[in-house]
Amino acid sequence: MNTKTIRLSAIALSVAALTACSGPQVRYGDSKAVETVNADYGSTDLQMIAEAMTRSLLQSKAISGSKDAPIVTLADVKNKTSEYIDTRVITDKIRTQLMKSGQVRFAVSISEMQNQTEELKRQNQSGLYKNSTIAKTGNMQGAQYRIEGSIASIVKNTKDVKDVYYVFNLNLINNESGLLEWADEKEIRKTATR
Amino acid sequence: MKNTFLACVSLSLVCLAGCATKPPAPVVESAIVGQVPADPPKNPVISAEALKADSKSIAVTDIYFKKEGKNLTFIEETRVTTDNSVTSTITPKTIEIDADKANASALTGGANSSAFPVKFTDLSDPKATSPGTAVPPVPVVDTTTPSNSSSSASTQSLKKSGYQSNNEYGELRYLANPIRGLLIKSGYKVVQAKSTPAIPNQGDEYFDIVKRIKAGDFGDADYVLYGVLAEISSTNNVSDIPGTKSTSQQVTFEVTVDFNIIDTKTTQIIASFVASGEGKDVQIDGRDTGNKPSTAKLMKLAALDLAEDVRKHLADQNFITNNPGSAGQVRNLKRRLDDDASTLKVYK
Repeated sequence: MNTKTIRLSAIALSVAALTACSGPQVRYGDSKAVETVNADYGSTDLQMIAEAMTRSLLQSKAISGSKDAPIVTLADVKNKTSEYIDTRVITDKIRTQLMKSGQVRFAVSISEMQNQTEELKRQNQSGLYKNSTIAKTGNMQGAQYRIEGSIASIVKNTKDVKDVYYVFNLNLINNESGLLEWADEKEIRKTATR
Repeated sequence: MKNTFLACVSLSLVCLAGCATKPPAPVVESAIVGQVPADPPKNPVISAEALKADSKSIAVTDIYFKKEGKNLTFIEETRVTTDNSVTSTITPKTIEIDADKANASALTGGANSSAFPVKFTDLSDPKATSPGTAVPPVPVVDTTTPSNSSSSASTQSLKKSGYQSNNEYGELRYLANPIRGLLIKSGYKVVQAKSTPAIPNQGDEYFDIVKRIKAGDFGDADYVLYGVLAEISSTNNVSDIPGTKSTSQQVTFEVTVDFNIIDTKTTQIIASFVASGEGKDVQIDGRDTGNKPSTAKLMKLAALDLAEDVRKHLADQNFITNNPGSAGQVRNLKRRLDDDASTLKVYK
């Protein structure tokens, strides 16, 4: 009886050991799930900021009161925090949500101008394209508004507590008049304790 | 009982049949709900009466221009007089430049001052010169400098400077055709205008359109559209494109013309405006590639742009309707021809 028990235990242990050695487990999670790994800037912050800003911007008079979908450009968000944040992801996410609403059209921003000019040059100046199909130089549409933003943070640490305060600002500026047509902010406070 | 039922059924059938053959209720004339007197047309040119009559004819001249130039002249004569003879050496210099440059030079001692380090005066104006002097090359004593008179010889230096106006009149023959085209599309009959070559010593009477109308230069045209070139300029600018490593070379040809439309019978000015056209060629990194844009293409673009600006002004001043040649314009024209001008119908 004892021998049999020992044999079974050994087999079970071996199976368990083999399973453990087979590699890391991979599973898909909910991309919208709240992420609280640490107090640093994370995916939940990104989603909260983009959603709050998009909702507020679409309700602004400049956008909702416009007869036609106004043309805007989106400048990169300035990172004024002490940590590395890829702010391009924030602007891309806001832009995607605004585009999905159909209430705004986007002109190429300054960071996309290199590709735009190269394409125009290729079509207009290479002599390779049929004239009637060429995207002609001089017909780009100017943006009526530009969106600018920044993210800043205040971080406080003690031995056991880390408190992070983020504030994200976004402004909509009329390019012709220079007037600030809309502005809003999103505040986030995160506290991590040990 | 059965009979009663049959009677009821037949009565119902009669009623239904009666309803089915009932004539439809008379349609209320609701299309026209009221008639109110129409406002008088703002511009009699396109009133319904005018449109009901034969199409109006218009002559479109080529674009007149006057190029004002100045001949700058600087003369220096050195005269050496001895007992027996007089030796004279005359050194004249003459260049033709634009009037504004000459004026700037005269006022500020500007661009041409190195060639002619003097102030320029109008040589044809007797008040501007000393008595007895006329046009160059007759030298006039500005400064008389008796020099070393050793023995019996003397040297005199005579200097004179000034300008003579040189005006050139003519017609630009390549800008008016798109304008003629838009007037044809607008329903006007366009008449060929007789060209007017400038005569020797031509003056500003070249622009006397009434004189030309009376001379019959425009046949039996009801109106004459004539334009006088105000300014023509060409620019070549290179600028950086922000956010890229590239530059943008913009070669622009611009023309500004002063237009008037005159009724040939009354000589009344029917429309008057200034229109401009621009032909632009933009090349990315054109400076680096040594791009040379086609002036013919720029001229065509400027002419088309000028015609478009003319169209806007003519529509603003009710000489033509908007969107000439469009289906809507044809429909409107037909409606205006068919309708009685004295009433305005309001449709529901």
